[in-house]
Amino acid sequence: MRLRPTPADLLAFAAAAALLAALHLHAWGGGGPVVTARVETPAGTRLLPLDRPGTYRVRGALGESVLEVRDGAVRFVDSPCRSKICVRSGWARGAGELVACLPNGIVVTLTGPGGEYDAINF
Amino acid sequence: MKAPATGQAAPPRDTPLRPEREDVRVAALAALAVALHVLEAALPSPVPGMKPGLANVVTLLVLVRFGWRPAAWVTALRVLVSGLVLGTFLSPTFLLSAGGAAAALAALALAARCPGRGFSPLGLGLVAAMAHMGGQLLVAWALFVPHPAVALLAAPLMTAAAAFGTLSGIIAWRILAQEEATEQA
Repeated sequence: MRLRPTPADLLAFAAAAALLAALHLHAWGGGGPVVTARVETPAGTRLLPLDRPGTYRVRGALGESVLEVRDGAVRFVDSPCRSKICVRSGWARGAGELVACLPNGIVVTLTGPGGEYDAINF
Repeated sequence: MKAPATGQAAPPRDTPLRPEREDVRVAALAALAVALHVLEAALPSPVPGMKPGLANVVTLLVLVRFGWRPAAWVTALRVLVSGLVLGTFLSPTFLLSAGGAAAALAALALAARCPGRGFSPLGLGLVAAMAHMGGQLLVAWALFVPHPAVALLAAPLMTAAAAFGTLSGIIAWRILAQEEATEQA
């Protein structure tokens, strides 16, 4: 039996090469991990990928909070609460970080690869 | 079994469970595959999940020489008995092994139906190894770690599978070539 690859063999090797190329591109390339902000409001939860800059208005228990996404970080720009702790806590950028406006019932948690911890339980 | 005293063969009173030729063959080949599987389990591995998979050479040989059904029997017995011998029966390791073997057999069933000249042992080895690793990764993702990082692990593991699958194909082809030469001599 001579080892002569058949057309089907060549096809299989080509398909395998394409699959491996795609897997390696996915594994090594692709602009780093994307951290996503998980915004919990009284009305429900929405996700904001932090690679998309912009200003987002979120309806809470008291009124509208304004979130800003820039340079892979998120912060409260304004919120209809009295203390403004949320605005003063500034930017959150790493996975696992959290900013919240409790009076308005809005909690922003950052999820994604590479955080210092997987989860926090209070 | 004693020869009947009379000249005429008496009809058998009971039908004893006697292994047929093919059963014996499947058992012997499965034993060989188990030996390779267990031997390989003793080898240290740089990355979990990366191993040569030499037992798959036996599956390839049986597939080419005797067809898909005996190959499936040999593989199923290999996974079961190796699990029992290594003490991993029904453990995650065993489930990964079984999932990979099932995927490889499914792929080989498709490959064996390929029209035209079909696949050589080389292509069969590649297809089986890729399907084996793919099936294992799917089982791992579905049952144990539903985390996107499994996709990252897929790159090095599938690369290794392609390399070792081709190697298995070459080994199977060389054994088949030698058998052919012996039969012709």
